[in-house]
Amino acid sequence: MSDLDRAIEQLRACRLIPESQVRELCYKARELLIEEGNVVSVDAPVTICGDIHGQFHDLMELFRVGGDVPDTNYLFMGDFVDRGFYSLESFLLLLCLKVRYPDRITLIRGNHESRQITTVYGFYDECIRKYGSANVWRYCCEVFDYLALGAIVLGASSELEPTSNTALSSMPIDDSELETEVLNSRGEVTMSTYRARQRSSSDASTDSRNISPPRDISAAPGQAAAPSRSGAPGTGASGDGNGSAATSRTGAVLCVHGGLSPLIDSVDKIRLIDRKQEVPHEGAMCDLLWSDPDEIEGWGLSPRGAGFLFGGDIVKQFNHLNGLSLVARAHQLVMEGYKEMFDGGIVTVWSAPNYCYRCGNVAAILELGEDASGGGTVARSNGEYGRSNGIVADNRVVSPGRRYRVFEAAAQDTRGMPAKKPVADYFL
Amino acid sequence: MALEVQPPDGRKRVKVYELKDNDWFDRGTGFCTGQILGVSCRVLCAHWGSCDVSSRAIPSASPSSSVTDQLLTRRSLAYSSNLKTYPIACYSKRGSPRTMAIKNNRTLIVWTEQNGTDMALSFQEAEGCAVIWDFVNAVQQHLLSLTSADDALSDDLDSYQSIVLPSPELGNLPEIEQIVRAASMTQGGRDALSKYIIRDEYIAKLVPLVETAEDLESLIDLHRLCNIMKSLILLNDNTIIETVVADHVILGVVGALEYDPEFPTHKANHRQYLADKSRYKEVVPIKDPLIRRKIRSTWRLQYLKDVVLARILDDPTFSVLNSLIFFNQMEIVNHIQANGPFLRDLFHVFDPRNPDQKRKDDAVQFLHQCAGIAKNLQAPSRAQLFANFISHGLFAVIAFAVKHLNPAMRTTGIDILSALLDHDPVMMRGYMLKAVNEKKTPLTDTLIDLLHVETDLGVKNQLADAIKVLLDPQIPLQDPLGRAGPDYFKVRNNNLLSDAFVQQHFDESSKRLFQPLKQLANRTALNDLTFQEVTLYSHLVDILTFFVRQHLFRTRNSIQSESLAPRVAQLLRAPQKHLKLVALKFFRTLISLQDTFYQALMTHNNTFELILDIVYETMPRDNLLNSACLELFEFIKRENIKPFILHVVEKYREKLENIIYVDTFQSLILRYDQMQGYGAEADATLFSQDESNAPRRIPLNGQRWQGAREMDPAEEDYFNTSDDEDEWTQDRVATADEHSSGSTSAVVKPLVDYPDDDDEDIMDTKPEGAEQQPVASPTEASTEAPASSPTQNPPAPPERLAEKRRREEEDDDELSKLTAGPKRRSSTSSNSGAFNMNRKSNLSAGSLADKNASPGVLNKVTSAAPKRIAINIGSTAKSPLSETDTSRTEVTSESYEKENPNDSQGNEGG
Repeated sequence: MSDLDRAIEQLRACRLIPESQVRELCYKARELLIEEGNVVSVDAPVTICGDIHGQFHDLMELFRVGGDVPDTNYLFMGDFVDRGFYSLESFLLLLCLKVRYPDRITLIRGNHESRQITTVYGFYDECIRKYGSANVWRYCCEVFDYLALGAIVLGASSELEPTSNTALSSMPIDDSELETEVLNSRGEVTMSTYRARQRSSSDASTDSRNISPPRDISAAPGQAAAPSRSGAPGTGASGDGNGSAATSRTGAVLCVHGGLSPLIDSVDKIRLIDRKQEVPHEGAMCDLLWSDPDEIEGWGLSPRGAGFLFGGDIVKQFNHLNGLSLVARAHQLVMEGYKEMFDGGIVTVWSAPNYCYRCGNVAAILELGEDASGGGTVARSNGEYGRSNGIVADNRVVSPGRRYRVFEAAAQDTRGMPAKKPVADYFL
Repeated sequence: MALEVQPPDGRKRVKVYELKDNDWFDRGTGFCTGQILGVSCRVLCAHWGSCDVSSRAIPSASPSSSVTDQLLTRRSLAYSSNLKTYPIACYSKRGSPRTMAIKNNRTLIVWTEQNGTDMALSFQEAEGCAVIWDFVNAVQQHLLSLTSADDALSDDLDSYQSIVLPSPELGNLPEIEQIVRAASMTQGGRDALSKYIIRDEYIAKLVPLVETAEDLESLIDLHRLCNIMKSLILLNDNTIIETVVADHVILGVVGALEYDPEFPTHKANHRQYLADKSRYKEVVPIKDPLIRRKIRSTWRLQYLKDVVLARILDDPTFSVLNSLIFFNQMEIVNHIQANGPFLRDLFHVFDPRNPDQKRKDDAVQFLHQCAGIAKNLQAPSRAQLFANFISHGLFAVIAFAVKHLNPAMRTTGIDILSALLDHDPVMMRGYMLKAVNEKKTPLTDTLIDLLHVETDLGVKNQLADAIKVLLDPQIPLQDPLGRAGPDYFKVRNNNLLSDAFVQQHFDESSKRLFQPLKQLANRTALNDLTFQEVTLYSHLVDILTFFVRQHLFRTRNSIQSESLAPRVAQLLRAPQKHLKLVALKFFRTLISLQDTFYQALMTHNNTFELILDIVYETMPRDNLLNSACLELFEFIKRENIKPFILHVVEKYREKLENIIYVDTFQSLILRYDQMQGYGAEADATLFSQDESNAPRRIPLNGQRWQGAREMDPAEEDYFNTSDDEDEWTQDRVATADEHSSGSTSAVVKPLVDYPDDDDEDIMDTKPEGAEQQPVASPTEASTEAPASSPTQNPPAPPERLAEKRRREEEDDDELSKLTAGPKRRSSTSSNSGAFNMNRKSNLSAGSLADKNASPGVLNKVTSAAPKRIAINIGSTAKSPLSETDTSRTEVTSESYEKENPNDSQGNEGG
């Protein structure tokens, strides 16, 4: 068993690893994250998770409900730390998993992954309390600076495979496909929605195949073996390329912590940010991490004092321009765990049940399935990104099938006593 | 005076009605029971379903309106916290019963509230109605008899508040728990309960029960005790909380809290922790018994807050705990610093003749803790504490700690130093310069030497941070009130050393600090860098970047005399990507300064070649390093920094042309061609004729450098001393005026649309500016949208053209002072034919505008321009400001504090 596996074991048991190991872990993570683009390309299937906020036992519950790493691919949309009592354990575990299974887990930055915010909302204090000095906090903050700003999920299926253990499974009629499904933590379907099958989906895909090149970038030849993170040549480029025009029937899904920015009109523009810095107080990078969708038109001032509010028209236009079918984001507590807005153009996913141990909310994760059909693939040449598609395919981008798994706070027995670690020796 | 009335058993199903406009309104359905609580009795109605049962609709047969009101206010709380049961009727011994009637086949109880509202309880069964009716009657009778017997008290409120708990015995625990819980639900109940608990010293009486219950292994009693303790603490009463942490009570209290019914299988060991006397460490005994007690109770309060109650604390109790801790700490610290003999003893520990190392370590820890506490104190008392410490020799202690063999101690030492620096960097620099003046070794030198050799990466990190602040060449103008300590003026005076002296010290320290960087010159390959070296270099470059950003010209000396820039450029070739990134950040900062000296530094080295190399290395890949490079060139393009555009395109045109996966480089070339007209030479004359000295110099220098890429040191010196010198002085004036990014300085203003951008930036920092931004942006999106997607142009080039055109039009506008909006938009889509003409007019327009750049013209331009710019270069308009702005705002944390409340309340997301 390697050191890393041992560290994972230890952290899973909610026990901290020594400072020297944290340091090493952070350096390894840095080497890894520096290779990731500002927007990481991720292939479906993937499970998208929202805020964790140091609720370690609920993170364990999340893994129980959603499947363990590396069996399930995960994408965490930031805010790993602060507020909960186990920010360190939670973040270090996720980081360990990232280093151990780089292709299986993607971490992007949330507004709490910042020096200024963590000094106010608990992570800093937790580091001092648990390690006696701010060193671990410094290492972690250094890693924060390297975290990607967003991710784009490609090759998601537009249709869900119906969950087997449901009476509804026999229900789907031929001309409808399962679009969304909500499951409780026991895996029972509590809600599902269907949509009319696109006027023979095969037609549509043949059409688009003639004009637009790739349909499923993830399956591009020569890429199959390459890691799904950005390291492989072309993945990054293709992710951006996807931003320029719709190429697959199921549009890509953009994942960011907060939301859109008035300074970012295309996914490509995110690439032009030098992200290795403290989260600024304004500008594109700040907005991506701080903004919120709202029932308004256009842009509005955010009550948070950073980022903006943006309305359905903005989302619609952004998705249209970038060939996206959905923006997945976190950042706001939603009592039901997830909340779709603007005709399913954006979804908020929240993964901290009973937030702050008192909000009484449930949490959710969002599963996007893999597009099994996978036909009509054309490899995209490197370095030519954004260019290969002078012609825009028909823009009927279909949103991916979405399976929400809703779960509640970890049962108290399994959780042990949530408490902060006692203060160390004292003189005063 | 026990009540002879038995509460009715079983819950009765009822509907609650309120009479409004002669109609009975259904207020919800629930169960009704009767209860006797102490001397008061209630009819409780447990509702389910319809949550809109407004509090005032709860039928209350309470005799006292004031009590009722309080009940009502608490009721909504009870509701929200999912407590389904709440009192609907309350009788106290002083109450006069209300008129109630039983009606309608004996299933309806009707009465009138104090406020005149008619209420009714409709029972499902007549039997249930009768039971409740009898109970209410019995209670009323009982109360009537009491009223006649006892008329001493006048206020109903008082009478209600006199809660009495059964005597503290195991057998009474269920009842105690019940009463405490019920009383906690109403403010009146809480007040009454608090009074009783304090007066009766009830907690002390409860404490022995814990041990008894433990002896009996009665888990259920222990759980009850735990619940009672929790409720009592959460009564949120200062006196109770102070009692709880008293010596003779604390162990019993936390003992009870060890048995949390929510975690029936767990038992905490608070007592063991708190009773462990070895945690008390007294470096120098504190003699005052009062202070000793305060110290102990503070520590217990902290333990309660952080450990025992961490999960259940509500906000009010949390703040009560915090404020108790705060006031205790203040008293303790005040005592310590006023205690001369104590301080003498304390610092005497560090006497070199003292062999007791352990004690020294403890003393450092003690001081560290004091410094930590001081952070929370108000500025004046903190200043006083630090001043006292310093006069007793705190610096020697820090010097002792940072040289300690144990990295943990070094960390502690630097933590103390950081606390001082956070408190008042000016004062610290004052002390440091004083030491230099007195020919003592200043602290900085010690720290620098340590930084060079330190192997613990955490400590190294801290050292770098401390050095940054200590040597920060820019002394911030802070509010003097913030640190008005006794030593304040003395230090201030010391601080008024001549600027030349400060500069000299800075230069010397920098020389020392950047020595390792300088020695890089002798290294040809960087493949064999050790881990320690890599860390050191990245810290050094980071510090250098910080200096450059903080102060434009003070750092120039050392960068020039030590020729540091080429060394940093060398690091661009290091195999370690993060080291490359740090070096890149340095140059990116230089670029953003828009300062001729630094521009020259960059253009006369092969810096850009190295950066382009990185682009090539990383090219098709989308990674952090690549993005950072792109951002750098994007910035040059966006800001239209002519010297760089000229330099880069002239020297590396071919390289640029080959990078086509983003359009940044193509548009740089385009920008260049645009500037040059149709050839470089024509342009040179054009510029030399009508531009100020800066642009004239650039092609000149460019030619000179083109010959010799690598200059020898002599030439370098020549360059640095000759023509630059006078420009420095000019620049210095300019920066003194501008004081910010320096981008508006007279020398670097080669382009007509610069001032607009800058003014826009400045405007944006105001709140209105921020508001303007989002408003403008949708327009941007809508103008861009038709251009790119539906017309199906290949995305990149047309956009470029469009953007360029718009720029030209701006120039047009400036000339003819056209208005913005609609005209521009129409031309955007249609004027490709006029392209060439436009370009020509652009050039002449540019020069013209620059020539008459009288304030008047500029003002007009700025008044019209900002909105347009926001629209045109939309995505880029804001970022440059954020770059310069972060450095500015990072100093002031207020802006963040502003958003904290927002974040913590409503928006939950956080």
